[in-house]
Amino acid sequence: MKERVTSLVLDTVLPATKEPVVRWMAFLSIFIVAGVCAALVVFIKGLGVTNLTDLVPWGLWISIDLSAIALAAGAFSVSAIAYLLRRKELQPVAKTAVYVGFIGYSMAMMMLLLDIGRPDRFWHGFVFWNIHSPLWEVTMCVGLYFSVLMMEVIPIIGHWEPVEHRFPRISARMVGLHRITPVLALVGLCLSTLHQSSLGLTYGKLVARPIWYRPWPMAINFYVSAIVGGIALVTFISFFSARLTPKAVINKRVLDKLAHGVGWAVLFLLALRWWDLMRMPAEYVPGKTEALYILTRGRLAFNFWWLEIILGMLVPATILLVPQFRRKENLRMIALALIAVGVVAYRWNTNLVGQLVVFGTVPGSDVPLFTHYTPSLVEILTGAGVIAYGLLAVTFGVRYLNVIHHGEGVEAPAEASVPAAMVPSSR
Amino acid sequence: MATKIDRRDFLKLGIAATATAAIGIGMSDRSIIPLPMAAPAASKGPENPPHKWVMVIDQSKCVGCDLCLAACHAYNDTPPNISWSRVEEVAPLDDGQRVFRPVPCQHCQDAPCVEICPVGATYHRYDGLVMMDYDKCIGCRYCQLSCPYGVRHFNWEKFTGPNPDVPAAGTPEIERRPRGVVEKCSFCVHRIDRGLSAGLTPGVDPDATPACVVACTYGARLFGDLNDPDSPVSVALRNNPDAYRLREELGTDPRVYYLPAKPKEGSAS
Repeated sequence: MKERVTSLVLDTVLPATKEPVVRWMAFLSIFIVAGVCAALVVFIKGLGVTNLTDLVPWGLWISIDLSAIALAAGAFSVSAIAYLLRRKELQPVAKTAVYVGFIGYSMAMMMLLLDIGRPDRFWHGFVFWNIHSPLWEVTMCVGLYFSVLMMEVIPIIGHWEPVEHRFPRISARMVGLHRITPVLALVGLCLSTLHQSSLGLTYGKLVARPIWYRPWPMAINFYVSAIVGGIALVTFISFFSARLTPKAVINKRVLDKLAHGVGWAVLFLLALRWWDLMRMPAEYVPGKTEALYILTRGRLAFNFWWLEIILGMLVPATILLVPQFRRKENLRMIALALIAVGVVAYRWNTNLVGQLVVFGTVPGSDVPLFTHYTPSLVEILTGAGVIAYGLLAVTFGVRYLNVIHHGEGVEAPAEASVPAAMVPSSR
Repeated sequence: MATKIDRRDFLKLGIAATATAAIGIGMSDRSIIPLPMAAPAASKGPENPPHKWVMVIDQSKCVGCDLCLAACHAYNDTPPNISWSRVEEVAPLDDGQRVFRPVPCQHCQDAPCVEICPVGATYHRYDGLVMMDYDKCIGCRYCQLSCPYGVRHFNWEKFTGPNPDVPAAGTPEIERRPRGVVEKCSFCVHRIDRGLSAGLTPGVDPDATPACVVACTYGARLFGDLNDPDSPVSVALRNNPDAYRLREELGTDPRVYYLPAKPKEGSAS
């Protein structure tokens, strides 16, 4: 008996582990298991196990959630370019983007479920409306957009080999959903525009936090940076996967065009961010000046100048816009990854900077109170678990679902680009 | 045989659906369509409430003894790590006299928390008091970020067992809040409502007045209806034109007024 088990392990499991991708997935699974355990601790013992306080109530989880939603924005942006601006060559890239977006939004939802104090009431936003709250708007749009993404991902699942072979009829139904993709692209564009900017407004509307209280810049910067980061991430994942596995088939010409566009977009984002920063008043504004100090010269200065501005925008913009640099594939890939890192740093800084200075609650005077926040182990483990899930899901998609298959005219045949219902006098 | 829809029809359908949705959302407040899910349209409190409950805190009388907090903890059964109001020590007067500033929920007329709560768990009552619906709150803590006064507290842990702040002789007057929701000072609405229904006057009769006001031995806290010209708060505000409110520049229109501390007459020199 024992020998049979050993031989089973030797014959089937061991050869598999020789494949790097399997080892990579096993490595990620460790983090997922640890994350699930930590999440159970959170659900059982409550949010007391975090390092969050009444003064810093939004921490690492919210940053991960914001970053995941921002980097998932490639789904709606590439879909809109491919299907609404009719750039057919981008349709296979849109498939990759939609898959990555779906993973991103599911990550965000997991994070949020952990973060709210009453996970059993996650549905309250859909039933009890407060139409004045940006967070309500975000809840509704994220919920609706997640269903849109699901409908866009269903054809990809339908093409998955086991489904195709075992349930050919269901598979045909699922693949058939691809017909409504242009409509979904339109709905997705509307919903994403609403909630990506509302996420900025969530902070920008708070009159109590002077550093955040800039409704328009916050909304616009969040929206633009999400588009830039989202497209950059999709392009990076495509290039990187093609480097690692023959399963990923890319069309370098199209992706390079996209990377070039991202270069201009990141320059635009830099201009927006810089303008926003320069518009901050030079004279002393209680709470705002201190927060600005923290951001540009204090604890967040490294994040801000290096991760956000220099590595996140200036360096990638230079690489992507100068043809000699962009033609170097490694450099191009690094530039795209750096943009995504920059967007994550932007979200982290934005979330934290308003909370590190609390105005008007310090005993003794009216000077602002400086707070501290370092994520606890449980927060880090759950966050790492969710990120590991995202990486695993993308790996799975590349390996089994062929989400990166940008070969000429392989996926998305021309007649599928417009739904039958929209073609005049069809049939 | 599938029904034929050409592009024109499809566009018409789309536009019609969008318009319907837009009109529906635009009108979805209770005043026009009695949708059970829609929040009241205004994030501001009622314009002319039947009672305008106001608290006046006289800083020249407050000695910072925290008796008001003890009463609040006992009556409202707050966990040891949560205090619905706090007493801060602020900059002393020129003659060295210490000055304190109790800060309860300010019950803003234009409350940031009411405007941004995603589920409408915090709302304005008919008389303009800012209330918490603990059964609706999802614990997102957005209101904590929005509050300029820092008076909202989250239940990070479950509070079980006897409350050390409740004396053996009495029992708390309201239910304990569950883990995972935000709670805050309510101006003891249960006492106000019970008093009104018994024909008492809040602010005058102790049984109808917030616990902290009743407990203050020094008379530093006053409570009453600003619509009533004879109420203690109306009289106090009439006699003290230098009354101020916290962070008025934000336009939140708070319901708590402060009478600044003055140097004691004859005490100096």
